[in-house]
Order: sequence, then structure tokens, then C-alpha cells
Amino acid sequence: MKNGNGSNLRWVILLAIAAILLVYPLIVRNPFYVHLFIMVFFYAFLAVGWNIVGGFAGQLSLGHTVFYGIGAYSSTLLFIHLGVSPWLGMFAGGILASLTSVVIGVPCFRLHGPFFAMSTLALGEVFRILATYWRDLTQGTMGISIPVKFGWKNFIFEEKAVFYYVILAFTVVALGISHWIHRSRFGSNLVALREDEEAAESLGINVPRNKLWAMMISAFLVALGGTFSAQYILFIDPDAEFSVGLSLMIAIFPILGGIGTVWGPVIGAVVLVPLQEFLRAWLGSSLHGLHLFIYGGLLIIAVTFLPRGILDWVQALGRKALPFLFPTPALEKPAHPRPDHFLAWSWLGQKGSSDGPILEVSDLGKNFGGLAAIRQVSFEVRRGEIVGLIGPNGAGKTTLFNVISGFYPPDGGAVLYHGEAISSLHSAYRICRRGMGRTFQLVKPFQNISVLENVMTGAFLRGKTQAAARDDSLEILELVGLYELKSTLGKSLTIADRKRLELARALATRPDLLLLDEIMAGLTPKETDEAIQLIRKVRDRGITVLVIEHVMQAVMQLSDRIVILHHGEKIGEGPPREVAADEKVIKAYLGEEYVIT
Amino acid sequence: METILQLTINGLLLGGIYSLIAIGLTLIFGVVRIINFAQGEFLMIGMFATFWIFSLLKIDPYLALFIFTPLLFLLGMGTERVIIKPIQNAPPIAQIFSTFGLSIVLQNGALMLWKSDYRSLETSYSNAVISWAGLMINVPRLVAFSVAVGIVIFLYLFLQRTYLGKAMSAVAQDRDAAQLMGVDISKVYMLAFGLGIGLEGLAGALIMPIYATYPTVGFTFGLIAFVVVVLGGLGNMIGAFLGGLVIGLVESFSGFYISPELNTAIYFLIFVLVLIIRPQGLMGAVGAQEMGLK
Repeated sequence: MKNGNGSNLRWVILLAIAAILLVYPLIVRNPFYVHLFIMVFFYAFLAVGWNIVGGFAGQLSLGHTVFYGIGAYSSTLLFIHLGVSPWLGMFAGGILASLTSVVIGVPCFRLHGPFFAMSTLALGEVFRILATYWRDLTQGTMGISIPVKFGWKNFIFEEKAVFYYVILAFTVVALGISHWIHRSRFGSNLVALREDEEAAESLGINVPRNKLWAMMISAFLVALGGTFSAQYILFIDPDAEFSVGLSLMIAIFPILGGIGTVWGPVIGAVVLVPLQEFLRAWLGSSLHGLHLFIYGGLLIIAVTFLPRGILDWVQALGRKALPFLFPTPALEKPAHPRPDHFLAWSWLGQKGSSDGPILEVSDLGKNFGGLAAIRQVSFEVRRGEIVGLIGPNGAGKTTLFNVISGFYPPDGGAVLYHGEAISSLHSAYRICRRGMGRTFQLVKPFQNISVLENVMTGAFLRGKTQAAARDDSLEILELVGLYELKSTLGKSLTIADRKRLELARALATRPDLLLLDEIMAGLTPKETDEAIQLIRKVRDRGITVLVIEHVMQAVMQLSDRIVILHHGEKIGEGPPREVAADEKVIKAYLGEEYVIT
Repeated sequence: METILQLTINGLLLGGIYSLIAIGLTLIFGVVRIINFAQGEFLMIGMFATFWIFSLLKIDPYLALFIFTPLLFLLGMGTERVIIKPIQNAPPIAQIFSTFGLSIVLQNGALMLWKSDYRSLETSYSNAVISWAGLMINVPRLVAFSVAVGIVIFLYLFLQRTYLGKAMSAVAQDRDAAQLMGVDISKVYMLAFGLGIGLEGLAGALIMPIYATYPTVGFTFGLIAFVVVVLGGLGNMIGAFLGGLVIGLVESFSGFYISPELNTAIYFLIFVLVLIIRPQGLMGAVGAQEMGLK
């Protein structure tokens, strides 16, 4: 039980830190040192809030002072004009900030990477200018002083220690929320969409809605921070509340500490804030800007050399030097790995198995500009079949998959799934939720999370708890032969294993129809054989399979029926033997001269 | 009517200055595929350098530009080697935040060296004005505008006619294909980055007779440059020039008819709207898909 001791020791250390933090302001009477800790918690709190949308969801907002400023101004104006206690005003500000975050998020989330960052940065400036301009409300650059009336109701305290406990409580609550998100289905969704939005949608994740939720929670928390700072300093003005520098700082702490982790933002604040406060205390304003100068330099070094942050680096060092304190997270193998157990589960046939075909494609068309990628394609797939979809390069196979699975809207015709038209759903995630799983030709493993977590992002669709999703995922990993690699990062897999992972992730959503896009391309003959066995096993349990495949031998062995596409049109359909002898097929693949007449 | 004409002239002249600042940014984006958040800070360096050489050695800004354009070109190439090259294939977070870090370093370095004072210089021609048919044309602004036009023509010819220019265009279009054709892309990146930064040295010297400089001046102009570049289409040279003129006109008219205080807010709103409605900009962007614009 070496691990047990290690985790006990960790608990002891954590409890000791907690105890020290609780009595700290009672023992340390020097106001500067209390102030220092208040600042550390304050920035840690903001950073944890930012990290929910910036880290977990990977949306690098540089405009979070919008929410901070809204929080500060809401509670202050309510207090001054209407006498509302800032404790209530704080929540009003939080809600207003959340609403604002939706207004910002709906358009801006269409942008990615640097463009999202730039647009949020610009919006932050817009808010600063508006706050300066709207003098009737904000008194412009004059700022607003909050009258000093001590008392709990007014959220103004003579003793710094009280502020200390308040912000400590805030930080603990924020960490609790962050921890919950990290372990929940919601957190798994956020990580998935951060890594690859299309793959996330193919696993039934509503990408825009998850981004908005993350943004709303993040905005709410950061707004509370705005109120706290207003009450602590008792003065607000547009330049401070909507400062670009603050927007940057609350992003820098998580990035340095460990972006997208629960504790990273705190570590970042614990390391950097004292530096900043000591410099300020020692040098006064004589070297104004020194702390930001150092932050900037650290930022460059960190993103270049420690892209996963200090926390990850310390853990890696710790595992080597103090293995008893930093146990390698080991996953216990389930007592009886039962790969067939997963497939034996009875999610199939839940949908009142009518006898009609599971998938009907009729007169389907899709154009890109003037190019008709697919034209009036019709075919059907019956329950329990394996249907092969073949055709030369550029025949429109993948386009057809993308239309069926909802990634492209069709330009004509219909897709019926279980007898219902699904192209009107206009979204891939809804189609996945109905039971259609797919893989991508250019595989899209989530690069920076483990194989197990990859599969869990799919499994969360049906198993709502972490334990359920994990058990499902482990069984599927055993089934596809990736169990031993469960802790490996997605980006470290070989191409064959990436393809297995695609299949595993799609299976985890418990589909009754699987669309497999060239899952065997690039595999060795032995791996191809294994893949054929696996697909058969999947089918034998009742999952219908539609495969695009270039490996002719495999597709002939595997398929019950084959549909042939050429130049976007269906040119034939039938059992493998007939198709292989079909003139049109040979012509399409090999050219006119190979047809034996 | 005269007001509208005057506002148009003011807007176009202002737009010329914005174009001049934005061209370096768009060139770097187009070729190196990095959004240089520190672009404005190099302009700030150019402005301070021009200021100091004028105050200490009485060297005229229009002469100083022949010193600082090449110096910033060298500085840009050095920056590319030290900061940009290591993150060339890094994830977006590194690409965004390393140039952001650089911008913070330069801005606060300037703050420590020169305090947050506004510094401006007075030349004999700072307030020179050409009057014509009741319209006023400020001479230094006209000079900056003319140089902006000249730079666009020069860069256009450079990219079309010279081997290096063609190599840059090729890298901008498809870096893998360019590499297969024997283009040394590492060198092209360095030169393009240097050129983009050198242009800020030129711009810094040209606008010093018009604007004051201070440590965060680069942030203000840098954001405007982003707006201009996005409006014109990222990586598009002609687009940056036209985008600059549009923003100049917007500022001139909204400043007169709405409020000069709201100028920045207005063109940032335009910026966000353009990003959302037509992310490829007026003239179309290079590699928009690749950079996650769609």
C-alpha cells in the first residue's frame, strides 16, 4: 500500500496548509503580510474563474475585465444609489456579467485562436471607453468613491483579516466549482471541444452551448472578484476596472501555473503575486512597470519551454525525486475486464425495432460552389448489415458521410434514420445522440489527453457519472486492444492505434449505426485482419456498420453489400462478388481498357 | 459641403498613417503566419528613437528614418530568431502569448526607462499647412500618406519582380510547396519579419512630427493596426492600405458627427463586426481557414 501512504501524506500536508491559512491573520498582525495573502487569493480567484473558459474550454479570452468591471460597477452603483448591500449587489453584478458574456460569446465564439483573443481584447477596450464616456452613470475618469461605513451589511471592514477570510472563502468555493467541472461530464465536454470541435460534435457534444456555459460561469466568478476589489479599495474608475493589464494578468497566472488544470491558476498566483507585491513595496513607484516587465519575460519563456506550466513541471520533477509524495496516477484494472460485456449491453433495440431500414438515403445532393460533390445518391442500409461504400478518390464518399452525419447540410434529397428525416436537425451532435456514431478519415484524436479520457468524452454521452463513463471506456479499450495504452496521450499514438481510438470513441457513444471512414487505410495486413474481426464482432452484437474503404480485399471480405460511387453518383450496388465483376466498377477504378468483353 | 470635403481629406490622410503602420503587421502575418501582438511596440521603439535622436543630436525625423528603418529591420530579424522561430510549430496558445509577452516586456521596459510622460518634438514643418480652395492639408500628414502609397507600390513590385519577393509570396501561399521548390523558408521568415518590423521604424519616424510618444503608444496604434488589417483581409497588402483609409474616414467622420471620445469604441465595434460577418475582410485573407478564421 505504498500509494495509500503517499496519498495519506498528501492529505496531511493539505490539512496542515489549510490550518495555517485559517489561523494566519490571527498570528501575523503585520498588515502588509495580510494584504499580501489577500492579493494572492484575489488573483488566484480571478485566475481560477478565467481558467474555466480559458483553460478547460481553451477559449483564450483577453477581455475578462469586461465582467470584472461589470461586477464592480453593478454592486457599487446599487449600493450608492439604492442602498443595496454589496453582498446582494455582487450577485446582481454576477448575473449581469453572465448575460453580457452570452451577448459577447454568441458572435465571438465563431472565431478561433488568436482571433477570439483579439476580439475579446477589443471588446474590453470598448467597455472601458463606454464607461469613461457614460459620465452620468460612472462619473467617467473621476471614478466613484464608496463611502466608508464599516459593517457586515456594507461589505466594508476595518480589519483586513475579515477581507482575508472573505476572499479565502471565495477562492475555496471557486476551486470547488473548478474541481467539480474537471471531473464532470461538462468538463470532459469542454476539454473535447478545446482539442477538436468537429470530433467533439461527432461525440454528441453541443459545442456552442458548452462554450457559453463555461463563459457564463467564468464571467460570474470574475464579476464577484470585481465587487470584492471595489469593497477592498473603496474606489473604482474605468481605467482600473476595465484595464487591459488586468485582463492579461488573469490569463497569465493560469498559463504559467498550468492551464486547464484545477490547481495551476492558484500555483501561478502563489508564485507571481508575492513577486509583484514585494517589488511594489520595495521600489514604490520608482520602477513602475518592473513587475509586468518580468511577467512578460516569464510568459515568453513559459509558453516556449514549459507549455504545460509550472505545476506539470513540478509534478514531473517530484515523481522522480519524491515518488512517495507524487504517486504516478495508476488506474486499477477492473477486476474482470469484460470486453464483450459492453457490447452485450442492451442499448440496441431500445428504439422499438421496426423492420424498416435503419438508414435510407434518397436523392441526396451536395454542391460546393459549382461542383456537384454528390448527385442524387440513393441507397439504404438494413439493420445488422455491413455495407461497404467504395469509389475512386474524389468520388464523394467522405462528403456523403459528412452529409449523413450532419456535418454538411444537403442541397437536395433526404436522409432517413430509423424512418425519420434527420438532415433537418442541422447538427452533428443531435444526430450522434440519436445513435449514429462516426469516425474521421483524417483521424482526430484529442491530442493532449490520455487514451482513456479520449474514450470517456464519448462515454459521458450515455453514462452520466464519471465512474460509469470510466467503466464503459475501459471495457471498450479492452475490446479494441488499447487497454495497455490507456494512460498514453492521444498525440503519442501510432497511426494504427489512432484509428483504433477513433473506433473506440465512436463506440463509447453506444451507437446502433456506425459510419467508419477508411479505418483500415495504412494498416499492415495483420492489423487489417484484426480490424476486420473487430468490425464483425461489433456487427454480431447488433450494430449496423457502413464503411468507406479503399483496401479492396478487406471491403470484399467484410461487406454484405457494396455501394459504388463515381464522380458523386451511385453507379452500382450489390453483393461483393457481383460488384467485383461489374464492368462499370472496373472502368471507374482501372479505366476502359481493363474491361474484358 | 466644404466640411465634408475637409473631413474626407483629414480621414484619408489619417488613413494613410494607419495603413503605413498596418502594412508591416499584414506582411508578417501573410508570410510568417504569426499574429505579432508586439507590432505596435516596435512602432513605439521607432518613435522613441526618432524623438531622442532629434532632441539629443538634432537629427531631423525625415533623416532619422534612414537610420532607424534598417536598424529596426535588423532588430526584427533578431527577434524572429530568438522569439518567433522556437514557437513556429507550437500550439496557438504559445503563438499568441509569446508575442504578447514580448509586447508586455517592451512596453514596460520603455515605461521603466522613460516614464509614462508624453514626449513630442517640434520641427519647423510640424504645423505647416497647404491651403487650397478653402481646404487645409497638413504637410507632415501628406508626407506620411505619400510614403504609405509609395510603400504599397514598392512592396507590390518587390513581391512581383524579385526572386526574394516571389519566394515570400510563395511561402505565404503554401509553405510546404515553397519548401519543395527549394525556397529556404527559415530565411524567408527571418527576412519577412525583419521587413515588417523595419516598416515600423519608418512609420515611427514619419509620424513623430505629428504624434506624441509614450510607452503605451504602441498598444493604441497596434490595436488600430489590427483593426485595419482584419478589415482589409489578413495578409493582404492592398487590403491593409484600403482598410487604413476606411478606418481613417470612419474616425474623421465619427469624431465630427458623434464624439471624438467614442472613436476607438466605434472602430473596435466595426472590427468585431467584420471578424464575425466577413472574417476574410474586404479583400480576402490568406490562409484564413488555416488560422481558424472560419
